[in-house]
Amino acid sequence: MDTAQLKQRVKEQIIQFLNLTTVKPEDIKDDEPLFGEGLGLDSIDSIELIVMMSREYGINIQDPKEGRKVLANINTMVDYIEKNRTK
Amino acid sequence: MLYIHQTRCLSPQQTLDEIDLNRLTVSGNGKLPVKEPVYPQIPPGVLRRMGKAVRMSVGIALPLLQQAVQPDGILIGTANGGIEDCIKFLNQIIEYNEGLLTPGNFVQSTSNAPAAQIALITRNRNYNTTHTHRGLAFENALLETTLLLNENPEHYYLVGAVDEISSYNYNIDRLDGCFKEEPVSNQDLFLYDTPGTIAGEGALMMLASAKPSGAIACIDAIQTLHTREHALVKQMLLQFLRKNKVDPAEIDLLLTGENGDSRLKGYYLDAESIFPDHTALARFKHLSGEYCTASSFGFWLATDILRTGQVPAIAVKRATAKPCKKILIYNNYRGLQHAFALLSQTG
Amino acid sequence: MSRILITGMGIITAIGSSVEENRNALVKEQGGIGQLEFYPTAYAGKLPCAEVRVPTEILNKKIFGHPDPAITRTGLLVLHAVEEAIKDSGLLSEELASVDTALIGATTVGGMCLTDEIFRDAQAQDKGSPYTSSYDAASSTLDAQKRYGILGEVSTINTACSSSANAIAFGARLIRNGIAKRAIVGGADSLAKYTINGFNALNILSKTHCAPFDKDRNGLNLGEGAAFLVLEREEDAAGKKRYAALSGSGNSNDAFHPSSISENGEGPYLSMIHALQQAGLEASAISYVNAHGTGTENNDETESRAMQRVFGKVPPFASTKSFTGHTLGASGAVEAVFSVLNIHHQELYPSLQFKEPIADTGLIPVLHHRKETVNHVMSNSFGFGGNCTTLIFSKA
Repeated sequence: MDTAQLKQRVKEQIIQFLNLTTVKPEDIKDDEPLFGEGLGLDSIDSIELIVMMSREYGINIQDPKEGRKVLANINTMVDYIEKNRTK
Repeated sequence: MLYIHQTRCLSPQQTLDEIDLNRLTVSGNGKLPVKEPVYPQIPPGVLRRMGKAVRMSVGIALPLLQQAVQPDGILIGTANGGIEDCIKFLNQIIEYNEGLLTPGNFVQSTSNAPAAQIALITRNRNYNTTHTHRGLAFENALLETTLLLNENPEHYYLVGAVDEISSYNYNIDRLDGCFKEEPVSNQDLFLYDTPGTIAGEGALMMLASAKPSGAIACIDAIQTLHTREHALVKQMLLQFLRKNKVDPAEIDLLLTGENGDSRLKGYYLDAESIFPDHTALARFKHLSGEYCTASSFGFWLATDILRTGQVPAIAVKRATAKPCKKILIYNNYRGLQHAFALLSQTG
Repeated sequence: MSRILITGMGIITAIGSSVEENRNALVKEQGGIGQLEFYPTAYAGKLPCAEVRVPTEILNKKIFGHPDPAITRTGLLVLHAVEEAIKDSGLLSEELASVDTALIGATTVGGMCLTDEIFRDAQAQDKGSPYTSSYDAASSTLDAQKRYGILGEVSTINTACSSSANAIAFGARLIRNGIAKRAIVGGADSLAKYTINGFNALNILSKTHCAPFDKDRNGLNLGEGAAFLVLEREEDAAGKKRYAALSGSGNSNDAFHPSSISENGEGPYLSMIHALQQAGLEASAISYVNAHGTGTENNDETESRAMQRVFGKVPPFASTKSFTGHTLGASGAVEAVFSVLNIHHQELYPSLQFKEPIADTGLIPVLHHRKETVNHVMSNSFGFGGNCTTLIFSKA
């Protein structure tokens, strides 16, 4: 799977995992902040996405500070997945 | 004493915006589920997390809270809270063997989630509580509201109830002998002299104050009781009337939570025997189904009857010609938890 | 309206199975947090908890003789604490089995401590376990109602961590308004996979012993227990123990986030202010605060700020959760009992595991047990869903 496809997949997974029923993948820009502004996710969502990374890609993020950096936007997420996935 | 100013009732019947009790929505597989409306006032970012019970209660509360002045408190009765979310979290615990789990279901499953979400969305920092005492959760919330109004006569409160049918909870109640073993529709609920009833769900929200002006009904008194002894229930009901200086003959309507369960029929017949023939009799659980806070539907129906003066044909057990100005509600949950309430017209 | 007095108490936690045992542990500064011995979870040995050191079968036999197969651990903890409270207050059986007696319980977990059983029953086709009517929150309160035949107002409150504080406040409200002459009020929670996993999923459990208000605190330890108090009108308390008076309560909602408190602690601030107003007290009258103090990053910092806003100069304070862990639905009542003991014995209890204050606040809790003049104690409970409740106890 190439980077573009992975970005699409991650967007779909975020929508599904967080039950974002009013959001479509094309609504999420690659460099748009996921938390705070942009998609407006919160601290519970960040934990849910860390679980998603573990279940879908076998990636375990232990440090919350590292988690915040990884989950900044789609680009940072996909970059991290490509480098660290075990699934 | 508590004056009801506005109500919103989401139920298996058409009770929400355009009330129509002329047509009965029929149950299926022993369940009377709610057909949920759209909830335009719940922000999508919040709605996405909500289970059905939280959605129903928050969804019908928000339109009531668009006044200039926030209610001085939010009191909710719910026996199970977000039970479906609770089961989803339990499933995660088992499936992932207590491993890495998502917390969303856990946070939404707590009994205080409805009251908390209403406060969160409306930024209401006032009094906030949740009663969760099974078949009396709603009555407890109402009683506490009455006491708060005694102490703060200028205040007004949002008080309500909600419970949902969750597939798992339904199964546990079924194993506990709550429901009919044979397939029975709500249309025929009172025709079979067999144990068990049918399941329902719903939500009610009301604005209550200590002021009669503009009120649609008055709850004069509430009392609850735990016992299985038939004689004690009857004795306490008589005492309740005496304590509130009401002669049985003054009651225009006895509205009961009779639910088709043969094991509980005796309590309701005893209650009926207290009143003369000119007292009308009506029932509501074939409309709402049985659930812990089903009595909230009964309260809603009573306020609607007081508003119109008429008992809808669909609820009538014994009709009379008298207009309906004073109602006694008697309900019990599974023969252990009993509640009496006196309601009257205002003005 | 005469004052509302506490005439009896009962308690069971990780630091003791009676009021006396709990007090001794507080005085001797012996906390109850450790590794799980009895509860079967994957986290035993990994996450310290404050377990009641009595297995469920023993609790069951002690109360029932022949063990009741349908009662949950939460129910047993309730019965244990209620029994002690009733004996302590000298209430007669005809007083209990009367419409004048209210019973207000509280719990967050209820019978869901039986996590595996509820999962099985949720899917069983033909036969359920003995617990099919024991899972809900009301069940443990109903166990006590049944045992004593209580005929007055009975309720169960669930407002997360402030549940039993609200139960106490509601019981007092029933008495003040003439609905009840006396109220047995409190709450219970037992350890459960449900809450262990739920709190762990939120990353707020500590892998070490919790250190409330410490700058390096990193989470809470779950505890279990039950506590009940008997509230009576002063005019009915002649010849009875008069431990303390419940002089005020405050309830507010933080309305910020489902599981964390706002930065400046608005909900906690409001509940403290309302309680002081109801008690007719200036903040400076408070001798000691039993803080909510869970040991999480969010709670302790926001609670500190709220206390500073209320008091200016914060009085001596401590978190006894450093002894008992966070007993969730029971915590309001457990800490109410400890607050009453502060007054009855004129002493302060410390916060354990504390080393250095939070940089932004500089607040240091009481570090050792000491005797002190105690006139009024404030006890705080702040929960999920923003539910904040404050109780104030005063000399009787």
